[in-house]
Amino acid sequence: MRELKVGSVFLLFSLFIIYESLRLGLGTLKKPGSGFLTFCAALLLSVFSIALISRGWRLRESVKPFPRKVILALGILILYSLFMDILGFILSTFLMVGIFFRLAQKRPWWTVAGMSALVTFLAYLVFGILLRVYFPRGFLGM
Amino acid sequence: METLQSLAYGFSIFLQPTNLLYCFFGVLLGTLVGVLPGLGAGAAISLLLPTVFHAPPVGSMIMLAGICYGAMYGGSTTSILVNIPGEVASVVSTFDGYQMARQGRAGPALGIAAFGSFIAGSFGVIGLMLFAPTLANFALRFGPPEYFSLAVMSLTLVTYVSKGSIIRSLMMACTGLILSAVGMDPITSKTRFTFGLSALMDGFEIVYVAMGLFGLSEVLINLGQSLKKDTLKTKIGNLLPTRQDWKDSALPIARGTVLGFFLGILPGFGTAITTFVSYAVEKRFSKHPEKFGTGVIEGVAGPEASNNSASSGTFIPLLSLGIPVNVSTSILLGALMILGLQPGPLLISSKPDLFWGLVASMYIGNVMLVILNLPLIGVWVQVLRVPYSILSVLIILFCEVGAYSVGNSVDDVLLMNIFGLFGYLVKRYKFEGAPFILALVLGPMFENSLRRALMMSDGSPAIFFSRPLSAVFLVIALFFLISPLFTRERIGKKAIEMQEE
Repeated sequence: MRELKVGSVFLLFSLFIIYESLRLGLGTLKKPGSGFLTFCAALLLSVFSIALISRGWRLRESVKPFPRKVILALGILILYSLFMDILGFILSTFLMVGIFFRLAQKRPWWTVAGMSALVTFLAYLVFGILLRVYFPRGFLGM
Repeated sequence: METLQSLAYGFSIFLQPTNLLYCFFGVLLGTLVGVLPGLGAGAAISLLLPTVFHAPPVGSMIMLAGICYGAMYGGSTTSILVNIPGEVASVVSTFDGYQMARQGRAGPALGIAAFGSFIAGSFGVIGLMLFAPTLANFALRFGPPEYFSLAVMSLTLVTYVSKGSIIRSLMMACTGLILSAVGMDPITSKTRFTFGLSALMDGFEIVYVAMGLFGLSEVLINLGQSLKKDTLKTKIGNLLPTRQDWKDSALPIARGTVLGFFLGILPGFGTAITTFVSYAVEKRFSKHPEKFGTGVIEGVAGPEASNNSASSGTFIPLLSLGIPVNVSTSILLGALMILGLQPGPLLISSKPDLFWGLVASMYIGNVMLVILNLPLIGVWVQVLRVPYSILSVLIILFCEVGAYSVGNSVDDVLLMNIFGLFGYLVKRYKFEGAPFILALVLGPMFENSLRRALMMSDGSPAIFFSRPLSAVFLVIALFFLISPLFTRERIGKKAIEMQEE
């Protein structure tokens, strides 16, 4: 089942790339075009995907459920990258680090807040001040 | 004579205080990631890749290389003392090293691992110094067909020695090649696969790809899993091996050095598989093979020497041909490109300060590592007490901020997170990251040389077989690609399986 699913995703991806490569133009063997290499690679990928699907069809393994912690972590990280501009580096990093500290191990909230503040401060010190990375300031202007 | 002059020039570059500091920082960090389980050299180099934007080229390459060979030293410490390999390349050291520690001989095991690593590392650097310029001179004759075939051979070999099924590894290589085409077509300057997104105009940056694939995904995999830690019950004692230990280890170190160096040059073998091969070789040469696994010093000396000389060996194809052979060198190749350097046979002659400075740094770096690893062994053992729950958050933050710092862009952070998810899925569904990253960095060269070679030959693919060197590379690639169909068993499969365990 696992192979069936993964193989199908890769097959769809390769078919999409084949379509896009054809749109870009394959050119000729004398003068290969922009889509030439991607077309060949996607064609090979589709063949391998079909091989994986056929193996999955025969084996039918069970799939382990997706760990909730990982989904949550990825969700937080995506939100972090989307809201960094609005909230500013300091606030968004403080929140993100705090949530991860809490997620990794149950600790009292003041410990989490203290650790998070310290880590955010150090990150700002190293990257913002020493390496002079310009971080977004957000609506609070900090 | 010319080599010695160049080496002296290298030392004059390296002995500048800032470069010494970069080297020290690199080997220190290498040892640290070597000691820490769940964080490999590839991940550490990825995490530090953004520094190449802020540091001088020679200094940053010296530091990143220091991580590569430094990790080989640190990995053995935890393998021997607590039976936890900090690196895949140190798994073998748990077999006999930990048994020695249980018998109260942790000191000599650590000592021989460090001295063996030092000897092999130093010989490896001499080999690098002698072989790389020669190979680069030879490679000046390479044209597009040779480069294409060489890239095919490298990709095939990396796929062949990857864990798990060849089909999955080939799928990863194809995906890497496809993603390497995103951005501008190098020949027609037409944009491809960008879908109107400005963040994709220059293609995928190796920095956030590597950080996501090897840094963030590592944390995601370990999230919620507590790494088992054994408390150290044995005393380390005297670190100096006895005369008998030296007698038993001399030949294994010599064999490990030579074996590691040459296997390191080959694509795919890298440092990990080399140690398994070395262990098997020592067992075969031993007068008492049945004692292997019960705490014999040869089982530590050979593999520990081999992974260090292999680490130097991997730099040869990188610096003389511009071909990476494993994850770490793929990321280093990316770093060279970020620095605006053209990897290939002209690199050594056009940037002698970089090559010779790097070689000089490796000599001194190995000395620094022995000093760091023997007297300070107690400190590294303490490092293991840092809870993973704290370490993981720091790695995540480093990835996020590092990705942002590259171009001061939130888009890069988002892309890094996406590659983190991709890396997690790759590991979860038993795919391999190595063929992907290798294909991604080799992609532009692969495409350029393929298209130019076909234009040269008026569209005849026979050009790849009519030129002798190109034909040899392709025949080797073909052999490794189709041999599993006939033998039903891959050469070195046992080593690959052991690595998987």
